[in-house]
Amino acid sequence: MRRLRPVIGLLLIAAFVAMALLASVIAPYDPFKSSVEVIDPPSARHLLGTDELGRDILSRVIYGARTSLIIGLGAAICAMGIGVPVGLVAGYFGGRVDMLVVPLIDLFIALPGLVLALIITVMVGPNLLNLVLVLGFVMWPSVARLVRGQTLALRETLYIEAARAVGGGSAWIIRRHVWPNIMRVVAAQFAVSVSFAIFTSASLSFLGLGIPPPTPDWGGLVRAGFDFLSLNPLMSLAPGATVTATVMGFYLTGSSVR
Amino acid sequence: MLTMIVRRLLLAIPTIIAITALLFFSVTTILGSPAGMMLGQDASTDAIAALNARYGFDRPAIMQYGAWIAGAIQGDFGRSFTTQQSVARAIADCIPVTLEMTLWSILLATTAAVILNTIPVARRALAGATTAVNLIGITVPNFMLGISLIFLFSVWLGWLPSTGWAPWSDGVAEHLKRIIMPVLTLSAYYFGVFSIVYRAEYRDVAQRMFIQVARAKGLSEWMVAFKHALPNAILPVITFVGITIGQLTGGAVVTETVFSMPGTGRLFVSAIAGHDFPVMLAIGMLIVTGVILMNLLADIAYTIVNPQIRFD
Repeated sequence: MRRLRPVIGLLLIAAFVAMALLASVIAPYDPFKSSVEVIDPPSARHLLGTDELGRDILSRVIYGARTSLIIGLGAAICAMGIGVPVGLVAGYFGGRVDMLVVPLIDLFIALPGLVLALIITVMVGPNLLNLVLVLGFVMWPSVARLVRGQTLALRETLYIEAARAVGGGSAWIIRRHVWPNIMRVVAAQFAVSVSFAIFTSASLSFLGLGIPPPTPDWGGLVRAGFDFLSLNPLMSLAPGATVTATVMGFYLTGSSVR
Repeated sequence: MLTMIVRRLLLAIPTIIAITALLFFSVTTILGSPAGMMLGQDASTDAIAALNARYGFDRPAIMQYGAWIAGAIQGDFGRSFTTQQSVARAIADCIPVTLEMTLWSILLATTAAVILNTIPVARRALAGATTAVNLIGITVPNFMLGISLIFLFSVWLGWLPSTGWAPWSDGVAEHLKRIIMPVLTLSAYYFGVFSIVYRAEYRDVAQRMFIQVARAKGLSEWMVAFKHALPNAILPVITFVGITIGQLTGGAVVTETVFSMPGTGRLFVSAIAGHDFPVMLAIGMLIVTGVILMNLLADIAYTIVNPQIRFD
């Protein structure tokens, strides 16, 4: 099981990325095109049925991967962009910077990410770019905390001391000796951040406060299908399953690095 | 001990004031304005001025906050923009629902996680199953879990009512029928997190000398597990619970929405969707205060159960 974890994780990620990139090839219909076949149950023509506007659900689920991919990657990159430098500086230099940064990180981590994202998103307006920025902003403290901890431990090692003894500058030591040693952990955290971003943005959309329609988005699709659960359960369970599989894929990959 | 608690409590007050101020200014000035949100971008300047004057948004932000926090301390959070009802009253009606669901969930998640990862037989026979459940708990979003349960138990099997709420006064059976699925949904994530942390700690503790001594004395595996390993393995988990407990509020918001429960989370969502600032701010403050107090409580609990720790 231990060894299978990253394999399963990477397979799920591969399937998800392929779905997002090849959406226009594999989707049987235009995800925005409505028809007169409203709320049709699954059939040979529409494998998952149609929604309340007669749009093909399978196609919308496939295109939904694109939205999730953009949000997941974008938000994780933003979180890294703030969290890694802050963590490196706080961990390596310590002192006053550290004393300022640590309580801030602790405070942010204690606050519920979803609630924070809810409030900020509604204020700045829900669109793709804003969601990416908001989720990145919500996630950076966990990245910073991890990087800080790793850097702090490295700072005390002999080879860093040796590098300092031969007259290496701080920037050079961080770049050549600290960064290569924490890259693995940062990469793992990146995968976990992607999974959290997709999880949270889907939850926001489910609450009706994320990506606005008609853009296909998994959380929104689950919400739309929820009203028709007894007529066509796949309408909300299928996009729900794809979110779950994607979140699981990134989580398995990220958590198997130790 | 007492000094520590008093000092931490005193420190919590400025923290709460600072965060609520940040929340207040974010919502009223930094990220946008209430008038802009409620009237839309095409609103005329006259309309905006009229709305600002009516709700007092034309005063300096610091004065608005002063008035708000002064009221909040006395339990007066103003009136809802949409229903014109007292915010404090509306929230007070919702709190019991959320509190009950959350408490049951924490209780269920922690007990199940401890039992599954402590009982010697379960540790051996169910290890794989527990790992799978941990993963499901952490990665399946609350809305997916909730809808799956509704599909299984309400639509398919027809055993439970799908959504809605029944207070205790409607009868115990009716109440439990409505609360069981929300509790299962909300506890899943927490079970996963708790179980992973506790399991790792337990493995660590199980290799220590005193466990071997306990075994050598001839104690049964159950005695070793529950009397010697459990109390030591659970210590670090308490701190962890304090830090992560705030995340439960996010889950509660989604879960209450899925099951249409008249709780604080759903009130919060509808306040956000309807740009109802007084309600948004009041619940935001409630969450922040709750999170900070929970952290404090976990720290205190940690000192009580672990005599090695002293704060002076």
